Amino acid sequence: MKHEHWEAVIGLEIHVQLNTRSKLFSSAPNRFGDEPNVNITEVCTGQPGALPVLNEEAIRKAVQFGLAVGSKIAKYSTFDRKSYFYPDSPRNFQITQFENPIIVGGEIIAEVDGVARTFPLSHAHLEDDAGMLKHFSHFAGVDYNRAGVPLIEIVSKPCMHTPREASSYARAVKAIFQYLDASDCNMEEGSLRFDANISVRPKGEKELRNKIEIKNMNSFAFLELAIESEVNRQIELYTMQPHASPGKVIESGTYRWDPEKKRTVLMRKKEKAEDYRYFPEPDLVPILITEAYIEKIKEKLPELPHHRFNRYVKEFGLSEYSASLLTLEKALADYFEECLHSCPHPRALCNWITVEFTGRLKESGHTLLSFGIPPAHIALLVEMIEKGTITGRIAKSVADDMVKMPGKDPAKIVKENPDYQPMGDAHSIEPLVEQVLKENPESIADFKAGRTKAFAFLVGQVMKLTRGKADPTLVNALLHKKLDANS
Amino acid sequence: MKKIFHFTALQLRDHFLKGDLSAEEIVHHYIKRIHAYDPKLGAFLKVFSEKPLEKARELDKRRAAKKPLGRLAGIPIGIKDNIHLKGEITTCASKFLKNYTAPFSSTAVRLLEEEDALFLGKMNLDEFAMGSSNETSAYFPAHNPWDLECSPGGSSGGSASAVAARLLPIALGTDTGGSIRQPAAFCGIVGFKPTYGRVSRYGLIAYGSSLDQIGPLATTTADCALMMEVMGRHCNRDSTSLDLPPESFLDNLATSFKGIKIGIPWQFLETLNPVASKNFSQSVEILKSLGAEIVSCNLDILKYSIAVYYILATAEASTNLARFDGIRYGVRSKKAKTLEEIYDFSREDGFGTEVKKRIMLGTYVLSSGYKDDYYKKAQKVRTLMIEAFENVFETCDLVAMPTCPFPAFKLNSIQDPLEMYLQDIFTIPANLAGLPAISIPSGFDGPKPLSLQIIGPQLHDVNVIRYAHAFEKAAGYSQRIPQAFDEES
Repeated sequence: MKHEHWEAVIGLEIHVQLNTRSKLFSSAPNRFGDEPNVNITEVCTGQPGALPVLNEEAIRKAVQFGLAVGSKIAKYSTFDRKSYFYPDSPRNFQITQFENPIIVGGEIIAEVDGVARTFPLSHAHLEDDAGMLKHFSHFAGVDYNRAGVPLIEIVSKPCMHTPREASSYARAVKAIFQYLDASDCNMEEGSLRFDANISVRPKGEKELRNKIEIKNMNSFAFLELAIESEVNRQIELYTMQPHASPGKVIESGTYRWDPEKKRTVLMRKKEKAEDYRYFPEPDLVPILITEAYIEKIKEKLPELPHHRFNRYVKEFGLSEYSASLLTLEKALADYFEECLHSCPHPRALCNWITVEFTGRLKESGHTLLSFGIPPAHIALLVEMIEKGTITGRIAKSVADDMVKMPGKDPAKIVKENPDYQPMGDAHSIEPLVEQVLKENPESIADFKAGRTKAFAFLVGQVMKLTRGKADPTLVNALLHKKLDANS
Repeated sequence: MKKIFHFTALQLRDHFLKGDLSAEEIVHHYIKRIHAYDPKLGAFLKVFSEKPLEKARELDKRRAAKKPLGRLAGIPIGIKDNIHLKGEITTCASKFLKNYTAPFSSTAVRLLEEEDALFLGKMNLDEFAMGSSNETSAYFPAHNPWDLECSPGGSSGGSASAVAARLLPIALGTDTGGSIRQPAAFCGIVGFKPTYGRVSRYGLIAYGSSLDQIGPLATTTADCALMMEVMGRHCNRDSTSLDLPPESFLDNLATSFKGIKIGIPWQFLETLNPVASKNFSQSVEILKSLGAEIVSCNLDILKYSIAVYYILATAEASTNLARFDGIRYGVRSKKAKTLEEIYDFSREDGFGTEVKKRIMLGTYVLSSGYKDDYYKKAQKVRTLMIEAFENVFETCDLVAMPTCPFPAFKLNSIQDPLEMYLQDIFTIPANLAGLPAISIPSGFDGPKPLSLQIIGPQLHDVNVIRYAHAFEKAAGYSQRIPQAFDEES
């Protein structure tokens, strides 16, 4: 942030589509990507006479989330009608939880640039998703496949101050749903959507100033960019009008992020905001949750991302940064653990997964998971290095080949390429050591004068002659022996 | 000699089962009557003939083959036109839905169908069940067979009119604030509103969701009992449906009130007009003579019923009817060019005055700044009413009061909406408290029928019908037929 004496205050509302088999209030399949209007029942299109019936699976997933983030699970929660007219809303009211949400409080633990931080939640509630409007050349159509898909909306307290905090928080929420297997978490398909509430104030000011809301972002990058841009916009406006009343400078309103213009665009001002006329949904009975039900779900909670993060840092000695990289994508962390089964070198594995292979695949648009290299192969590669079968330098070439031929066993790759055979015997290295010493008398002098860099240089020269195939430890030993003998 | 239309539903079924009457004969008989008399009554919005005849022939074959037959085999039934019968148009007596074919059958209708009922038509009603006179039907008003110039009551006016004129032995009605009981009273028949949740609302086009109940209108309490045995079932498509086993009504019909304490909220009834008051006193004498212990009870809070009802019912209605927007179904205005115009014009053209009035009222009471004063306060008073009834039922088994403050009025005679709303002062409380309540004929004011209402605690549906039966037998008014309709067509 450019302006040091300003503070941004950010709250996030995250809509997460739950991956239940059927929709929140109907038996229609909850599935993305089908032909329009095939996954619908009379409930999804708001036919008169149709009634909503609550999906128990959605309650269970909501409770799982609540327990995962240490919330209070409401023993009594209710649904409300939220009225607004729009063609994607089949009844022209949404069924949501306004008065009595199912999840209250709790906190999200997120690693912000490697530091674990705790962000408090206000609440989380269940509601049904809307359909989708599609515009054609001469008309618009509505696809109700998405109408009624269960959403859980997670509302944070206004507890974040930087775009980075917001995106770290959002990533942590996503990871939790992955670990719980409660959502597909597919950003492209809109399984996760972010609304950000943003205000700024001079540091030290107690009261919150008017906030604006940026609606419906579906990528972490946009989330960060939008917040950054909006925070700057607000600070600039306040700075330009230092004597105006803050409430006049920034008026509450709803904005959207325009990724092309790279700025937030006003949708509607607050005074034009709709009156949703919330009132209790008479077609649904309250959700009553027992302690026994909660206990049963608690017993079956899987390991959660921040637990796994702690384990990686404490037990494996991974850096916070690496642990966070691995654990934020459940599938990647699972991949890592799969590798660990046959290769007990977590730090090396982590480096090969998060740096070497991730780097090699960057251009392809693939991840290690989608690329088709089985975890056993990575494990084997690292194992070969650790055992000294190949050198680190050869391993990098082998990794290049593994990317070129995904699925090919690295042991085979090494075996088939004569260049990858390590020089393990002193007899073949010794002449090379002698050659290097002969060619670099000044380095020997430097070494004897106590300059350790010279030694490293000599090792490098020998390695170069072996095209990296020699075991560096052996080269070290031989060099020392020769240099000591010379002195 | 008794004609077919003189039989109650149970009698018709027995004659059919014994072979005295064929189902086809029964259907022909009633269809003939409908064609002869309904032009005067306007009770039907749609008459079915082919389908019920087909079904009747099938039943006759099944009977001949001694195959099993349902409990409603041979009984013609009319369906109020806000209840879905799959494949048929459900208009709700609104222009908006004149082209709307029901995509599924309501649970109530399905249960009747499974017991081999014969559906003869869809019955007239006030538009979206909003009215107490059947005059708000967008098509035509129904008439009272006891006096054709009079309203049959509403909103289930078509159902009551047809049953009273014996164009049907039974019809389904719906009751949100008295819409079964008041027309039953105006037309001199029996109308029963079950405990909220006893009959599934799935497939009923909602007006006030927390108040709506489907129930039967029939000429006898026994026929209502039969209907309740069939329809009073748990339904997993309606979350408010009571998860209770079906109950036995017919085996429990009583002939006396021995050991039964009946509460009467005398103070609440003070404003009753002299005719209704006198009739009610006579009813109380009958109850006493049957062994009931009559006690006075305090239900003064019910004087707020109408205010509370018109806030809560309209609030719910304003959102229930939001779906009628011309986008997915119903009549879309042809002059609409933009999205806003589709909404505005379709609703402007499609809804009648009373419906618009209630949508606006409901929208208003939920608006920010007014919600606390109206909606929330009304909810609180509703809770107080429920508690008041609970108190009374701690000492009383049943509560008795008139169904209506006066007998049927002339069509178009009530212009003041508030006066019209006052019609429902005695029926609304049972809806607000979710109680079972029945209207039973209790006498006449000239040609116009009067009725007694018996209200029970929640889930005491069986008891309400059980003791209504005792009163019915003693009072002896329920089998009367308006003279103009008591002849073979």
